[in-house]
Amino acid sequence: MKINIARQNIYLLILSTLLLIFVLLFSFLVLIPKGKEYREQKLELRNDNFELKKYQNFHDETLEILKKLQSDHRHIITSFDNTFNAQRFEKQHKVYFDSLSLAQIKDSKDKEEEFLVYEVETSSQINSPKSFYDFLDAINKSDWIIGVNFPIHFKREAQTIRSSFTMKVYCANRDSNSTK
Amino acid sequence: MKYSYTKARKKSIITPELQLLFIFFGITLCMLLLTYAFLLFKEYRFAQDKAEIYQERENLSISQSSMNTQITFIEKEALLSERIYTQNIVLKDSIANLFDLVPQRITLSEASLLENGLILHGITPNEDVYNFMLQAPLRSIFHKSYSSFYPDKNGWLRFVSTNYIEDDGLSTYNDADAKQNKNIEETSNED
Repeated sequence: MKINIARQNIYLLILSTLLLIFVLLFSFLVLIPKGKEYREQKLELRNDNFELKKYQNFHDETLEILKKLQSDHRHIITSFDNTFNAQRFEKQHKVYFDSLSLAQIKDSKDKEEEFLVYEVETSSQINSPKSFYDFLDAINKSDWIIGVNFPIHFKREAQTIRSSFTMKVYCANRDSNSTK
Repeated sequence: MKYSYTKARKKSIITPELQLLFIFFGITLCMLLLTYAFLLFKEYRFAQDKAEIYQERENLSISQSSMNTQITFIEKEALLSERIYTQNIVLKDSIANLFDLVPQRITLSEASLLENGLILHGITPNEDVYNFMLQAPLRSIFHKSYSSFYPDKNGWLRFVSTNYIEDDGLSTYNDADAKQNKNIEETSNED
């Protein structure tokens, strides 16, 4: 039996087979692996986005805590940041004393870890111990963080009491803090 | 003269069948290539997005660590200030208590508050008043308490009271002080 196929049809068949093979090869060797890769990358990106969201939430929570701390301790933070000014201190606290003088501002030996400590020697005259108590109350509200330290000497002089004591002024040591 | 009713057609290489085939495969290939281009573009975008996410995470991490340092520092500041404020209040109360402790009949001329002790100078009408009204409460507060007296011009007694809270490092110092006070007492008795 002889099959009669026109030559043109044979060309057509060969061309369509070749094109079909190309389409199949392109799809299976290039497109499908690429598609798989795309799906994996999409999933990975979604996970990364989710992680980032978690990071951001945690960051926002920490920021809120920091802001709350900063607003709650505003006075303390500014007090630690203020540089001690002897003249301003005298001006602010002279009301509690008949006379007040500060001397020998120096770095203290017992440095706190992240704070600079200045030692100030103070000599003053007061009318009564009440003035000294008021002074101790006032330094807790002053512009600096000041601790009154021992030794404290009181000596009667006619109608007044001469007092001398040391004060420690604490300042934030930003350099040491930033290096950590 | 016409031999046929149909007109002669021009023969072309692209037959209608071939044209159909080309259109079909053309559309298929176009779709495949477009899909491939879309995937390539998406891959590029994913890489870009990923880099952005990593950069943002890095920035957040730096900011987070800086905030943590700040929080720790503020907490330290708050703790230290609280400690200092408490110390000042305690100091105020201790001084107030000390002055409340001194009876009206005894007059203080000098008071030195030390870290672990207290030295008082003053005038008392007699030794008994001092012993009962000032020495007794001082003894109940301090571990070591020494007193020395010497007469004043008006017949009253001047006294020096040295009181220490016992501390290992201070014991030798206190003993030396006690000896010194004893010497003062002896010399004042001789007078």
